[in-house]
Amino acid sequence: MSVKILTVDDSKTIRLIVAKAFKPFDCTVLEAANGVVGLAVASREKPDVILLDYTMPVMDGFEVLARLRSDPDLKTTPVIMLTAEAGRETVVKIAKLGVRDYLIKPFKEELLIERVSRVVTLATKSDDASRAKRFDDPISLVVVDDKPAIVAQIKTGLESTPWTVTSFDQPGQALDYCMEKGADVVMVSLSMPKDGAYMLFQNLKSYANTSTIPVFGMSVKTATAEHTKAQQTGFAGVISKPIDGDELKAKICRALHLETSYKYFKPGNGWMTLVLPKEFGPSIAHEVSSRLNDQLTATVDAGGDKLIIDLGEVPSPTLPIIELVHTAVETCGKLSLRHAVLGSSGFRQECRSYEESQSWVFATNLDEALSLLKQN
Amino acid sequence: MAIRKMYDTDIQQFEELTHQSIVDVFQSMVSMDLESESPEPFAADPDGQIIGSVGFTGEASGVICLYAGVNFAKSVTSRMLGIGIHEVDEDEMVNDAIGELSNMVAGSVKSRLCDRGWPCVLTIPSIVRGQRLSVERSADIIRKVIGFKVSDNETQHVMAELLLKQN
Repeated sequence: MSVKILTVDDSKTIRLIVAKAFKPFDCTVLEAANGVVGLAVASREKPDVILLDYTMPVMDGFEVLARLRSDPDLKTTPVIMLTAEAGRETVVKIAKLGVRDYLIKPFKEELLIERVSRVVTLATKSDDASRAKRFDDPISLVVVDDKPAIVAQIKTGLESTPWTVTSFDQPGQALDYCMEKGADVVMVSLSMPKDGAYMLFQNLKSYANTSTIPVFGMSVKTATAEHTKAQQTGFAGVISKPIDGDELKAKICRALHLETSYKYFKPGNGWMTLVLPKEFGPSIAHEVSSRLNDQLTATVDAGGDKLIIDLGEVPSPTLPIIELVHTAVETCGKLSLRHAVLGSSGFRQECRSYEESQSWVFATNLDEALSLLKQN
Repeated sequence: MAIRKMYDTDIQQFEELTHQSIVDVFQSMVSMDLESESPEPFAADPDGQIIGSVGFTGEASGVICLYAGVNFAKSVTSRMLGIGIHEVDEDEMVNDAIGELSNMVAGSVKSRLCDRGWPCVLTIPSIVRGQRLSVERSADIIRKVIGFKVSDNETQHVMAELLLKQN
Protein backbone atom coordinates (compact mmCIF):
# COMPACT_ATOMS: atom_id res chain seq x y z
CA MET A 1 0.00 0.00 0.00
CA SER A 2 1.25 3.49 -0.86
CA VAL A 3 2.90 5.36 2.03
CA LYS A 4 1.37 8.72 2.94
CA ILE A 5 3.83 11.50 3.79
CA LEU A 6 2.52 14.87 4.96
CA THR A 7 4.82 17.88 4.59
CA VAL A 8 3.81 20.90 6.66
CA ASP A 9 5.95 23.88 5.67
CA ASP A 10 5.20 27.49 4.82
CA SER A 11 7.91 27.42 2.15
CA LYS A 12 6.68 26.25 -1.23
CA THR A 13 10.31 25.55 -2.13
CA ILE A 14 10.67 23.03 0.70
CA ARG A 15 7.34 21.39 -0.16
CA LEU A 16 8.50 21.02 -3.78
CA ILE A 17 11.86 19.59 -2.67
CA VAL A 18 10.08 17.04 -0.46
CA ALA A 19 7.68 16.07 -3.26
CA LYS A 20 10.62 15.69 -5.67
CA ALA A 21 12.64 13.60 -3.21
CA PHE A 22 9.89 11.00 -2.87
CA LYS A 23 8.83 10.93 -6.50
CA PRO A 24 10.70 7.68 -7.27
CA PHE A 25 8.90 5.91 -4.42
CA ASP A 26 5.46 4.43 -4.14
CA CYS A 27 4.11 7.12 -1.84
CA THR A 28 1.69 10.02 -1.77
CA VAL A 29 3.03 13.37 -0.60
CA LEU A 30 0.36 15.56 0.98
CA GLU A 31 1.05 19.26 1.47
CA ALA A 32 0.00 21.87 3.98
CA ALA A 33 1.28 25.46 4.00
CA ASN A 34 0.70 26.06 7.71
CA GLY A 35 0.05 24.27 10.97
CA VAL A 36 -3.71 24.70 11.02
CA VAL A 37 -4.13 23.14 7.57
CA GLY A 38 -1.54 20.52 8.52
CA LEU A 39 -3.61 19.39 11.52
CA ALA A 40 -6.77 19.21 9.43
CA VAL A 41 -5.04 17.13 6.73
CA ALA A 42 -3.42 14.86 9.34
CA SER A 43 -6.74 14.30 11.03
CA ARG A 44 -8.46 13.32 7.81
CA GLU A 45 -5.71 11.42 5.98
CA LYS A 46 -3.88 9.74 8.88
CA PRO A 47 -0.44 10.02 7.24
CA ASP A 48 2.27 7.45 7.96
CA VAL A 49 4.80 10.15 8.72
CA ILE A 50 4.70 13.93 9.09
CA LEU A 51 7.56 16.25 8.07
CA LEU A 52 6.96 19.31 10.19
CA ASP A 53 8.63 22.69 9.88
CA TYR A 54 9.61 24.32 13.15
CA THR A 55 9.21 28.00 12.27
CA MET A 56 5.90 28.80 10.59
CA PRO A 57 3.41 31.64 10.74
CA VAL A 58 -0.15 31.01 12.01
CA MET A 59 0.85 28.01 14.16
CA ASP A 60 4.45 26.94 14.68
CA GLY A 61 5.80 23.39 14.66
CA PHE A 62 5.83 23.10 18.45
CA GLU A 63 2.16 23.87 18.77
CA VAL A 64 1.27 21.52 15.90
CA LEU A 65 3.28 18.78 17.57
CA ALA A 66 1.67 19.39 20.96
CA ARG A 67 -1.79 19.18 19.37
CA LEU A 68 -0.89 16.01 17.49
CA ARG A 69 0.27 14.44 20.73
CA SER A 70 -3.00 15.29 22.45
CA ASP A 71 -5.13 13.76 19.68
CA PRO A 72 -5.83 10.07 20.40
CA ASP A 73 -5.91 9.27 16.66
CA LEU A 74 -2.64 11.00 15.84
CA LYS A 75 -0.53 10.80 18.97
CA THR A 76 1.51 7.89 17.65
CA THR A 77 2.03 9.30 14.16
CA PRO A 78 5.80 9.65 13.66
CA VAL A 79 6.91 13.26 13.23
CA ILE A 80 10.23 14.38 11.77
CA MET A 81 10.90 18.01 12.56
CA LEU A 82 12.63 20.19 10.00
CA THR A 83 14.38 23.21 11.38
CA ALA A 84 16.82 25.83 10.21
CA GLU A 85 17.70 26.52 13.83
CA ALA A 86 20.05 23.87 15.13
CA GLY A 87 21.04 25.48 18.43
CA ARG A 88 21.38 23.19 21.46
CA GLU A 89 18.38 24.78 23.16
CA THR A 90 16.12 24.20 20.13
CA VAL A 91 17.27 20.62 19.70
CA VAL A 92 16.64 19.81 23.37
CA LYS A 93 13.20 21.41 23.17
CA ILE A 94 12.35 19.37 20.06
CA ALA A 95 13.58 16.13 21.64
CA LYS A 96 11.47 16.71 24.75
CA LEU A 97 8.31 17.02 22.68
CA GLY A 98 8.75 13.49 21.38
CA VAL A 99 9.60 13.79 17.72
CA ARG A 100 10.87 10.64 16.04
CA ASP A 101 13.75 12.50 14.46
CA TYR A 102 14.79 15.94 13.31
CA LEU A 103 16.55 17.30 10.27
CA ILE A 104 18.54 20.50 10.18
CA LYS A 105 18.09 22.76 7.15
CA PRO A 106 20.06 22.83 4.90
CA PHE A 107 19.75 19.13 4.18
CA LYS A 108 20.59 16.88 1.28
CA GLU A 109 17.75 15.00 -0.41
CA GLU A 110 19.42 11.64 0.33
CA LEU A 111 19.46 12.45 4.03
CA LEU A 112 15.75 13.26 3.99
CA ILE A 113 14.98 9.93 2.30
CA GLU A 114 17.25 8.10 4.73
CA ARG A 115 15.51 9.62 7.77
CA VAL A 116 12.04 8.84 6.45
CA SER A 117 13.17 5.30 5.56
CA ARG A 118 13.94 4.71 9.22
CA VAL A 119 10.27 5.31 10.00
CA VAL A 120 8.41 3.81 7.04
CA THR A 121 9.29 1.30 4.35
CA LEU A 122 9.76 3.06 1.04
CA ALA A 123 9.34 0.91 -2.07
CA THR A 124 10.40 2.19 -5.47
CA LYS A 125 7.65 2.60 -8.03
CA SER A 126 7.12 -0.18 -10.54
CA ASP A 127 8.44 0.44 -14.07
CA ASP A 128 4.91 0.77 -15.38
CA ALA A 129 3.95 3.40 -12.79
CA SER A 130 7.12 5.39 -13.33
CA ARG A 131 6.91 5.35 -17.16
CA ALA A 132 6.62 8.92 -18.32
CA LYS A 133 3.38 9.70 -20.10
CA ARG A 134 3.68 10.82 -23.67
CA PHE A 135 2.18 13.88 -25.27
CA ASP A 136 -0.12 11.65 -27.33
CA ASP A 137 -1.38 9.67 -24.30
CA PRO A 138 -4.93 10.47 -23.14
CA ILE A 139 -4.86 13.23 -20.51
CA SER A 140 -7.88 14.28 -18.48
CA LEU A 141 -8.26 18.01 -17.84
CA VAL A 142 -10.80 19.54 -15.50
CA VAL A 143 -11.59 23.19 -16.23
CA VAL A 144 -13.44 25.39 -13.75
CA ASP A 145 -14.71 28.65 -15.21
CA ASP A 146 -18.12 30.26 -15.35
CA LYS A 147 -17.29 31.83 -18.73
CA PRO A 148 -18.19 29.38 -21.54
CA ALA A 149 -16.00 31.34 -23.99
CA ILE A 150 -12.86 30.46 -21.99
CA VAL A 151 -13.79 26.77 -21.93
CA ALA A 152 -14.32 26.96 -25.70
CA GLN A 153 -10.86 28.56 -26.17
CA ILE A 154 -9.26 25.73 -24.18
CA LYS A 155 -11.04 23.07 -26.21
CA THR A 156 -9.99 24.76 -29.46
CA GLY A 157 -6.39 25.11 -28.25
CA LEU A 158 -6.20 21.40 -27.43
CA GLU A 159 -8.13 20.01 -30.38
CA SER A 160 -4.96 18.61 -31.98
CA THR A 161 -4.39 16.44 -28.88
CA PRO A 162 -6.17 13.32 -27.62
CA TRP A 163 -6.77 15.09 -24.29
CA THR A 164 -10.27 15.35 -22.82
CA VAL A 165 -11.67 18.50 -21.23
CA THR A 166 -14.42 18.30 -18.61
CA SER A 167 -15.72 21.69 -17.52
CA PHE A 168 -17.61 22.95 -14.49
CA ASP A 169 -18.80 26.40 -13.55
CA GLN A 170 -18.47 25.79 -9.79
CA PRO A 171 -15.38 24.66 -7.85
CA GLY A 172 -17.39 22.31 -5.62
CA GLN A 173 -18.60 20.31 -8.63
CA ALA A 174 -15.02 20.03 -9.87
CA LEU A 175 -13.82 18.80 -6.47
CA ASP A 176 -16.52 16.10 -6.35
CA TYR A 177 -15.61 15.02 -9.88
CA CYS A 178 -11.87 14.85 -9.12
CA MET A 179 -12.50 12.90 -5.91
CA GLU A 180 -14.66 10.39 -7.76
CA LYS A 181 -13.02 10.07 -11.16
CA GLY A 182 -9.60 11.71 -10.77
CA ALA A 183 -7.93 14.09 -13.20
CA ASP A 184 -4.47 14.70 -14.60
CA VAL A 185 -4.67 18.50 -14.51
CA VAL A 186 -7.07 21.05 -13.03
CA MET A 187 -7.40 24.60 -14.37
CA VAL A 188 -9.45 27.10 -12.44
CA SER A 189 -10.28 30.74 -13.05
CA LEU A 190 -8.72 32.89 -10.32
CA SER A 191 -11.65 35.30 -10.55
CA MET A 192 -14.19 32.76 -9.28
CA PRO A 193 -16.34 34.38 -6.55
CA LYS A 194 -15.57 33.92 -2.83
CA ASP A 195 -11.96 32.88 -3.45
CA GLY A 196 -13.35 29.71 -5.02
CA ALA A 197 -10.10 28.96 -6.89
CA TYR A 198 -8.00 29.05 -3.70
CA MET A 199 -10.52 26.96 -1.77
CA LEU A 200 -10.50 24.39 -4.55
CA PHE A 201 -6.69 24.36 -4.53
CA GLN A 202 -6.51 23.82 -0.76
CA ASN A 203 -9.12 21.06 -0.92
CA LEU A 204 -7.42 19.23 -3.77
CA LYS A 205 -4.04 19.40 -2.03
CA SER A 206 -5.42 18.09 1.22
CA TYR A 207 -6.95 14.81 -0.05
CA ALA A 208 -4.65 11.87 -0.71
CA ASN A 209 -6.25 10.92 -4.02
CA THR A 210 -6.13 14.46 -5.45
CA SER A 211 -3.05 15.96 -3.76
CA THR A 212 -0.69 15.29 -6.65
CA ILE A 213 -2.88 16.83 -9.38
CA PRO A 214 -1.19 19.98 -10.74
CA VAL A 215 -3.57 22.93 -10.42
CA PHE A 216 -3.25 25.91 -12.76
CA GLY A 217 -4.88 29.27 -12.21
CA MET A 218 -6.30 31.22 -15.15
CA SER A 219 -6.24 34.99 -15.19
CA VAL A 220 -5.84 38.00 -17.45
CA LYS A 221 -2.23 39.06 -17.91
CA THR A 222 -2.68 42.40 -16.18
CA ALA A 223 -4.07 40.95 -12.93
CA THR A 224 -0.63 40.82 -11.32
CA ALA A 225 -1.96 40.64 -7.76
CA GLU A 226 -3.93 37.50 -8.68
CA HIS A 227 -0.83 35.98 -10.30
CA THR A 228 1.27 36.63 -7.20
CA LYS A 229 -1.35 35.26 -4.83
CA ALA A 230 -1.72 32.09 -6.91
CA GLN A 231 2.03 31.56 -7.03
CA GLN A 232 2.35 32.09 -3.29
CA THR A 233 -0.47 29.62 -2.70
CA GLY A 234 1.40 26.98 -4.66
CA PHE A 235 -0.46 26.76 -7.98
CA ALA A 236 1.57 24.95 -10.66
CA GLY A 237 1.40 28.15 -12.71
CA VAL A 238 -0.93 30.75 -14.12
CA ILE A 239 -2.29 30.52 -17.66
CA SER A 240 -3.10 33.83 -19.26
CA LYS A 241 -6.52 34.61 -20.67
CA PRO A 242 -7.26 34.71 -23.58
CA ILE A 243 -5.95 31.17 -23.80
CA ASP A 244 -3.02 30.54 -26.12
CA GLY A 245 -3.16 26.86 -27.14
CA ASP A 246 0.63 26.52 -27.52
CA GLU A 247 1.35 28.10 -24.13
CA LEU A 248 -1.29 25.87 -22.52
CA LYS A 249 0.11 22.67 -24.05
CA ALA A 250 3.67 23.62 -23.10
CA LYS A 251 2.73 24.31 -19.47
CA ILE A 252 0.77 21.07 -19.15
CA CYS A 253 3.64 19.11 -20.71
CA ARG A 254 6.04 20.56 -18.15
CA ALA A 255 3.71 20.02 -15.19
CA LEU A 256 3.09 16.40 -16.12
CA HIS A 257 6.63 15.79 -17.42
CA LEU A 258 5.10 14.50 -20.64
CA GLU A 259 7.51 12.84 -23.01
CA THR A 260 7.51 14.97 -26.17
CA SER A 261 10.88 14.29 -27.69
CA TYR A 262 9.48 11.60 -30.02
CA LYS A 263 7.72 14.42 -31.90
CA TYR A 264 11.05 16.00 -32.89
CA PHE A 265 13.68 13.24 -32.63
CA LYS A 266 13.18 10.30 -34.97
CA PRO A 267 15.82 7.57 -34.87
CA GLY A 268 16.94 6.04 -38.17
CA ASN A 269 19.30 3.24 -39.08
CA GLY A 270 22.63 4.74 -37.97
CA TRP A 271 21.36 8.29 -37.71
CA MET A 272 18.98 10.54 -35.79
CA THR A 273 16.64 12.96 -37.55
CA LEU A 274 15.68 16.18 -35.79
CA VAL A 275 12.48 17.51 -37.35
CA LEU A 276 11.46 21.08 -36.58
CA PRO A 277 7.73 21.66 -37.15
CA LYS A 278 6.02 24.41 -39.12
CA GLU A 279 4.63 26.02 -35.93
CA PHE A 280 8.10 26.42 -34.36
CA GLY A 281 8.02 28.77 -31.33
CA PRO A 282 9.82 29.45 -28.03
CA SER A 283 8.21 26.52 -26.18
CA ILE A 284 9.29 24.05 -28.89
CA ALA A 285 12.78 25.60 -28.89
CA HIS A 286 12.96 24.92 -25.12
CA GLU A 287 11.68 21.37 -25.49
CA VAL A 288 14.14 20.51 -28.24
CA SER A 289 17.18 22.20 -26.72
CA SER A 290 16.56 20.64 -23.29
CA ARG A 291 16.59 17.15 -24.82
CA LEU A 292 19.19 17.68 -27.53
CA ASN A 293 22.22 16.51 -25.59
CA ASP A 294 20.52 13.38 -24.20
CA GLN A 295 19.10 12.41 -27.58
CA LEU A 296 22.38 12.83 -29.43
CA THR A 297 24.31 11.02 -26.69
CA ALA A 298 21.81 8.14 -26.97
CA THR A 299 22.34 8.14 -30.76
CA VAL A 300 26.10 7.75 -30.31
CA ASP A 301 25.55 5.08 -27.62
CA ALA A 302 23.35 3.14 -30.05
CA GLY A 303 26.07 3.20 -32.74
CA GLY A 304 24.77 6.14 -34.79
CA ASP A 305 27.16 8.67 -36.29
CA LYS A 306 24.94 11.22 -38.07
CA LEU A 307 22.34 13.88 -37.31
CA ILE A 308 19.93 14.98 -40.03
CA ILE A 309 18.26 18.27 -39.22
CA ASP A 310 15.06 18.41 -41.22
CA LEU A 311 13.88 22.00 -41.74
CA GLY A 312 11.63 21.08 -44.68
CA GLU A 313 8.45 22.14 -42.89
CA VAL A 314 9.83 25.42 -41.55
CA PRO A 315 8.69 28.34 -43.72
CA SER A 316 11.77 30.53 -43.18
CA PRO A 317 14.93 30.44 -41.04
CA THR A 318 14.22 32.78 -38.13
CA LEU A 319 16.93 33.67 -35.61
CA PRO A 320 15.66 31.21 -32.93
CA ILE A 321 15.81 28.41 -35.53
CA ILE A 322 19.32 29.39 -36.58
CA GLU A 323 20.39 29.46 -32.91
CA LEU A 324 18.89 26.04 -32.23
CA VAL A 325 20.47 24.46 -35.32
CA HIS A 326 23.78 26.10 -34.40
CA THR A 327 23.58 24.51 -30.91
CA ALA A 328 22.73 21.14 -32.49
CA VAL A 329 25.70 21.38 -34.88
CA GLU A 330 28.02 22.36 -32.01
CA THR A 331 26.78 19.38 -29.96
CA CYS A 332 27.41 17.15 -32.98
CA GLY A 333 30.98 18.45 -33.06
CA LYS A 334 31.52 17.57 -29.40
CA LEU A 335 30.10 14.06 -29.91
CA SER A 336 31.92 13.47 -33.23
CA LEU A 337 28.60 13.16 -35.09
CA ARG A 338 28.36 14.33 -38.68
CA HIS A 339 25.40 16.48 -39.61
CA ALA A 340 23.34 17.61 -42.58
CA VAL A 341 20.57 20.20 -42.79
CA LEU A 342 17.61 19.49 -45.06
CA GLY A 343 15.91 22.41 -46.79
CA SER A 344 15.12 23.76 -50.25
CA SER A 345 17.72 25.75 -52.20
CA GLY A 346 15.79 28.97 -51.46
CA PHE A 347 15.80 28.12 -47.77
CA ARG A 348 19.53 27.43 -47.95
CA GLN A 349 20.13 30.88 -49.46
CA GLU A 350 18.22 32.49 -46.63
CA CYS A 351 20.26 30.54 -44.07
CA ARG A 352 23.51 31.67 -45.66
CA SER A 353 22.82 35.25 -44.56
CA TYR A 354 23.54 34.07 -41.00
CA GLU A 355 27.20 33.62 -40.11
CA GLU A 356 26.39 30.57 -37.93
CA SER A 357 25.31 28.59 -41.02
CA GLN A 358 28.63 28.85 -42.89
CA SER A 359 29.83 25.43 -41.69
CA TRP A 360 26.52 23.62 -42.19
CA VAL A 361 26.25 20.80 -44.70
CA PHE A 362 23.06 21.30 -46.72
CA ALA A 363 21.04 18.74 -48.67
CA THR A 364 17.59 18.81 -50.27
CA ASN A 365 16.48 15.36 -49.13
CA LEU A 366 17.50 12.45 -46.91
CA ASP A 367 19.12 10.38 -49.66
CA GLU A 368 21.30 13.29 -50.72
CA ALA A 369 22.21 13.98 -47.08
CA LEU A 370 23.23 10.37 -46.41
CA SER A 371 25.22 10.30 -49.64
CA LEU A 372 27.03 13.56 -48.77
CA LEU A 373 27.84 12.36 -45.28
CA LYS A 374 29.14 9.07 -46.65
CA GLN A 375 31.54 10.96 -48.95
CA ASN A 376 32.76 13.10 -46.05
CA MET B 1 16.92 41.43 25.63
CA ALA B 2 19.52 44.20 25.46
CA ILE B 3 22.15 44.31 22.74
CA ARG B 4 25.55 43.37 24.12
CA LYS B 5 28.69 45.23 23.21
CA MET B 6 30.60 43.55 20.40
CA TYR B 7 34.36 43.52 20.21
CA ASP B 8 36.41 43.15 17.06
CA THR B 9 36.92 39.45 17.76
CA ASP B 10 33.13 38.94 18.05
CA ILE B 11 32.53 40.75 14.78
CA GLN B 12 35.18 38.68 13.06
CA GLN B 13 33.59 35.53 14.47
CA PHE B 14 30.13 36.57 13.21
CA GLU B 15 31.57 37.25 9.78
CA GLU B 16 33.22 33.82 9.68
CA LEU B 17 30.00 32.14 10.79
CA THR B 18 28.07 33.88 8.03
CA HIS B 19 30.70 32.92 5.46
CA GLN B 20 30.66 29.26 6.50
CA SER B 21 26.86 29.10 6.67
CA ILE B 22 26.51 30.42 3.11
CA VAL B 23 29.03 27.89 1.79
CA ASP B 24 27.23 25.05 3.63
CA VAL B 25 23.74 26.07 2.48
CA PHE B 26 24.73 26.38 -1.19
CA GLN B 27 26.60 23.08 -1.04
CA SER B 28 23.71 21.15 0.55
CA MET B 29 20.67 22.69 -1.11
CA VAL B 30 22.01 23.78 -4.51
CA SER B 31 24.94 21.34 -4.93
CA MET B 32 27.04 24.39 -5.72
CA ASP B 33 30.53 25.03 -4.39
CA LEU B 34 31.29 28.64 -3.60
CA GLU B 35 34.74 30.19 -3.31
CA SER B 36 35.62 33.46 -1.63
CA GLU B 37 36.44 36.43 -3.77
CA SER B 38 36.84 40.08 -3.03
CA PRO B 39 33.39 41.63 -3.02
CA GLU B 40 33.00 43.84 -6.03
CA PRO B 41 29.95 45.57 -7.43
CA PHE B 42 27.91 43.22 -9.61
CA ALA B 43 28.17 43.46 -13.34
CA ALA B 44 24.69 44.67 -14.27
CA ASP B 45 22.32 41.76 -14.81
CA PRO B 46 19.90 42.93 -17.51
CA ASP B 47 17.04 41.37 -15.57
CA GLY B 48 18.02 43.05 -12.30
CA GLN B 49 19.06 41.99 -8.86
CA ILE B 50 17.40 40.13 -6.04
CA ILE B 51 18.14 40.47 -2.34
CA GLY B 52 16.98 38.00 0.30
CA SER B 53 17.31 39.30 3.84
CA VAL B 54 16.60 37.95 7.30
CA GLY B 55 17.05 39.89 10.51
CA PHE B 56 18.01 38.65 13.95
CA THR B 57 17.40 40.43 17.19
CA GLY B 58 18.47 39.80 20.78
CA GLU B 59 21.84 40.18 22.46
CA ALA B 60 23.17 40.23 18.92
CA SER B 61 21.06 42.15 16.42
CA GLY B 62 21.45 42.70 12.73
CA VAL B 63 20.52 41.61 9.22
CA ILE B 64 22.00 39.10 6.78
CA CYS B 65 21.40 39.94 3.12
CA LEU B 66 22.13 37.70 0.14
CA TYR B 67 22.57 39.49 -3.19
CA ALA B 68 22.36 37.77 -6.58
CA GLY B 69 21.60 38.66 -10.17
CA VAL B 70 18.11 37.54 -11.20
CA ASN B 71 19.43 35.14 -13.85
CA PHE B 72 21.78 33.50 -11.38
CA ALA B 73 18.91 33.30 -8.85
CA LYS B 74 16.86 31.47 -11.51
CA SER B 75 19.69 29.03 -12.04
CA VAL B 76 19.92 28.45 -8.27
CA THR B 77 16.15 27.86 -8.08
CA SER B 78 16.31 25.39 -10.95
CA ARG B 79 19.07 23.40 -9.24
CA MET B 80 17.30 23.47 -5.89
CA LEU B 81 14.06 22.16 -7.33
CA GLY B 82 15.64 19.81 -9.85
CA ILE B 83 13.82 21.36 -12.80
CA GLY B 84 14.97 22.92 -16.07
CA ILE B 85 15.80 26.61 -15.96
CA HIS B 86 13.09 27.33 -18.55
CA GLU B 87 10.60 25.79 -16.12
CA VAL B 88 11.44 28.49 -13.57
CA ASP B 89 8.97 30.83 -15.18
CA GLU B 90 7.43 32.53 -12.17
CA ASP B 91 9.12 35.30 -10.16
CA GLU B 92 7.45 33.97 -7.03
CA MET B 93 9.24 30.62 -7.43
CA VAL B 94 12.60 32.43 -7.41
CA ASN B 95 11.56 34.69 -4.52
CA ASP B 96 10.54 31.72 -2.40
CA ALA B 97 13.75 29.82 -3.13
CA ILE B 98 16.02 32.80 -2.36
CA GLY B 99 13.94 33.57 0.75
CA GLU B 100 14.37 29.97 1.91
CA LEU B 101 18.13 30.04 1.29
CA SER B 102 18.43 33.32 3.23
CA ASN B 103 16.38 31.79 6.04
CA MET B 104 18.65 28.74 6.19
CA VAL B 105 21.77 30.90 6.27
CA ALA B 106 20.35 33.10 9.02
CA GLY B 107 19.01 30.07 10.92
CA SER B 108 22.42 28.46 10.85
CA VAL B 109 24.16 31.66 12.01
CA LYS B 110 21.56 32.20 14.71
CA SER B 111 21.96 28.66 16.09
CA ARG B 112 25.70 29.07 16.36
CA LEU B 113 25.33 32.52 17.93
CA CYS B 114 22.94 31.12 20.54
CA ASP B 115 25.36 28.28 21.31
CA ARG B 116 28.12 30.85 21.83
CA GLY B 117 26.11 32.92 24.26
CA TRP B 118 24.42 35.43 21.95
CA PRO B 119 20.72 34.56 22.21
CA CYS B 120 18.57 36.04 19.47
CA VAL B 121 15.45 35.36 17.38
CA LEU B 122 14.94 35.57 13.62
CA THR B 123 12.59 37.65 11.52
CA ILE B 124 10.79 36.18 8.52
CA PRO B 125 12.69 36.47 5.21
CA SER B 126 11.98 39.35 2.87
CA ILE B 127 12.80 39.77 -0.79
CA VAL B 128 13.59 42.92 -2.72
CA ARG B 129 14.01 43.10 -6.50
CA GLY B 130 15.33 45.94 -8.58
CA GLN B 131 18.25 47.39 -10.53
CA ARG B 132 21.54 48.46 -8.92
CA LEU B 133 20.27 47.87 -5.40
CA SER B 134 22.22 48.59 -2.26
CA VAL B 135 21.30 48.64 1.42
CA GLU B 136 21.93 51.89 3.27
CA ARG B 137 23.04 51.76 6.89
CA SER B 138 23.05 54.24 9.72
CA ALA B 139 26.21 55.33 11.51
CA ASP B 140 25.97 52.83 14.39
CA ILE B 141 25.71 49.82 12.09
CA ILE B 142 28.78 47.73 11.34
CA ARG B 143 28.83 46.43 7.78
CA LYS B 144 30.76 43.42 6.53
CA VAL B 145 30.59 42.38 2.89
CA ILE B 146 31.49 38.87 1.78
CA GLY B 147 31.95 37.96 -1.87
CA PHE B 148 31.68 34.54 -3.50
CA LYS B 149 32.04 33.11 -6.96
CA VAL B 150 30.76 29.73 -8.10
CA SER B 151 33.70 27.30 -8.33
CA ASP B 152 32.86 25.87 -11.73
CA ASN B 153 31.46 29.06 -13.24
CA GLU B 154 33.40 32.20 -12.49
CA THR B 155 30.84 34.42 -14.15
CA GLN B 156 28.34 33.66 -11.37
CA HIS B 157 28.58 35.57 -8.12
CA VAL B 158 26.82 35.85 -4.79
CA MET B 159 27.41 38.62 -2.32
CA ALA B 160 26.43 38.66 1.33
CA GLU B 161 26.14 41.61 3.60
CA LEU B 162 26.24 41.26 7.37
CA LEU B 163 24.89 44.31 9.18
CA LEU B 164 25.39 44.37 12.94
CA LYS B 165 23.87 46.85 15.33
CA GLN B 166 26.46 48.17 17.75
CA ASN B 167 25.60 48.97 21.35
